[in-house]
Amino acid sequence: MKSDNVYLGDLTRGIVKENPVFRLVLGMCPTLAVTVFIVNGFGMGLATTAVLIASNLVISLFRKFIPSEVRIPCFIVIIATFVTIIEMVLQAFQPVLYEALGVFVPLIVVNCIILGRAEAFASKKPVLRSLADGVGVGIGFIVALVILSTVREILGQGTILGPDPASAIHLFGANFEPMALFAQPSGAFIALGLLMGLVNVIFKRFNI
Amino acid sequence: MEKILSIIFIYILVENFVLQRFFGICPFLGVSRKTETAMGMGMAVIFVMTLATLVTWLLYTYVLVPFGLEYMQIVTFILVIAGLVQFVEIALRKISPVLYQGLGIFLPLITTNCAVLAVALLAVRQEFTFIESIFFAIAASIGFSMALIIMAGIRERLEMAEVPQALEGTAITLITAGILSLAFLGFKGMLTL
Amino acid sequence: MRNILRLSLTLVVVGVVSAALLTGMYNLTTPIIAERKEAEYRESLNCCFPDFDTFETVEIEEDKFDLLYDENGDLIGIMATAVQQGYDGDITYNLAFDGEGKIIDIIIISHTETPGVGEVITTDDFQQQFMGKSYEDPLTAGEDVDTVSGATISTSSMIGSIRRVTGVVAENFLGVESEEIDINSVPDGVYNGSAPGAGGPITVEVEISGGEITRIDILEQNETPTYYIESYPVIPEQIIANQNLDVDTKTGATISAEGIINAVRDALSGALEDGS
Repeated sequence: MKSDNVYLGDLTRGIVKENPVFRLVLGMCPTLAVTVFIVNGFGMGLATTAVLIASNLVISLFRKFIPSEVRIPCFIVIIATFVTIIEMVLQAFQPVLYEALGVFVPLIVVNCIILGRAEAFASKKPVLRSLADGVGVGIGFIVALVILSTVREILGQGTILGPDPASAIHLFGANFEPMALFAQPSGAFIALGLLMGLVNVIFKRFNI
Repeated sequence: MEKILSIIFIYILVENFVLQRFFGICPFLGVSRKTETAMGMGMAVIFVMTLATLVTWLLYTYVLVPFGLEYMQIVTFILVIAGLVQFVEIALRKISPVLYQGLGIFLPLITTNCAVLAVALLAVRQEFTFIESIFFAIAASIGFSMALIIMAGIRERLEMAEVPQALEGTAITLITAGILSLAFLGFKGMLTL
Repeated sequence: MRNILRLSLTLVVVGVVSAALLTGMYNLTTPIIAERKEAEYRESLNCCFPDFDTFETVEIEEDKFDLLYDENGDLIGIMATAVQQGYDGDITYNLAFDGEGKIIDIIIISHTETPGVGEVITTDDFQQQFMGKSYEDPLTAGEDVDTVSGATISTSSMIGSIRRVTGVVAENFLGVESEEIDINSVPDGVYNGSAPGAGGPITVEVEISGGEITRIDILEQNETPTYYIESYPVIPEQIIANQNLDVDTKTGATISAEGIINAVRDALSGALEDGS
């Protein structure tokens, strides 16, 4: 019973209490950059989570074999390998998403979330727990990205499920003039800042 | 020559790497409390970014491409950057302990500064020449430092202002960055490559 | 010592495994990516050439041509990709020809012409007039096609470019010969000729003396001054210097340049016809 609680804790911690974006303020660059459209935010979240889970797994698996002095370069190579694999996979099977995310795909390798979890958790804890942690933090990241991109897309473009015209749903009719600010970089900063403020208020209210 | 001048102007102002392209946000948020620390970080970034871009460009052009190993780009580039940072740290400790005291704490952080890797990757992906890449790195890092120092100046003032409790900390910094980004929007479209 | 060995070994192992893994993935995904790109390209050609089997890409100077063959190896069409300077920047477009060199489609890929004004080049109304035309047609503004008033530069640039590309296709892929003028065989004298430019006909006066072109004057032209100045007096000077009509037309105003050359050609071939 106790072990169940531990895994559940590992899983849920990254989603709410230690949400990487809203609480730990990690992984800011892709969060602000790709959240113009919900599908892009979701795609980036998935790609990052894939790398996070893979690297957490491998690092935890081999944690007894990696000497502490060279652990950072080793982690970096492992993470970079998985990032390259994800880049190739995206290029082959999801070219539209790949073009949309651009240079931020390779930048997953310097996403502080992944190196941070590797250093703080996966290198010290057993495999199953590292897996749960990776999944939890990954989901937390995806949730944060989706929330921010929902705000930015609805307010900034007036659609959801854009930019592909085939799937985009115009919420306010095709002639609606959206608040273009939120599609711009400035809007990203402001939207995230306001969302963080909101999260702070909610967390305080519910004593999280 | 014209292209180099364009590069300098564009990447400092028009496409500022922090405020328009979203590179280097983590240090931007973390190190911009005081102007002294901001300047220290800025200098370190200018140095490392230029050196890193130089080395990775050479690595890509003379090693990866001739051997058909372009797909090792990410792994090799980030290793070069990490190695370079280590090397700079060690060298700085020996050569100038004073400088090391001032900059030393920021150096390890630069490894995960996405701006450094971004510049290295973009220099190669946009097919800049060697000289163009150097100026690209210098311009981008100056732009980064500029944004950082401006932000630090603002935050020092913010300390004395009354910020709503919910927005304290990162939230108000982000909103400030958004307004700063709006100011830089004025340069948009002024010049393109 | 042992420690350093252990450290290095770990690094080497990690590096080698990483490289091996990535090489494997690369070999796996590269063919998939190539296949997808080809499928995408084929789909884009489907607009005009639904039954093609293979294609061959030929680049001539700044233009790109995809020659499309059916299963029997017969040429069923040509897709040309060209760039032309418009009013406000470059216009990149596809020009689709059938196996006989007749235009069957125009697709503007990218442009920065003024919306509502120069943008008219993307409309059916404007493009319709080119359908079915080939190198045998004048493709000249004011003759068989028209510019659109208010968007003269955009539309005349497109007309001139389409005329040029049609000519290149005919010359290179359809075995149409362009007249070779032997300047030596032109009798001495002064001759007039004209050919379409970008803004209307260009009329020239050519003087032959002692088997050589000694003077070329432009009598009439309606070209855009800022562009025209790139080809005149450069082109006439080069023709006289080389005693040849085969001069480099990569000025900033290709259509005007070609217009001048063709006008001189017209003058000389007229002289030859009269003479013989």
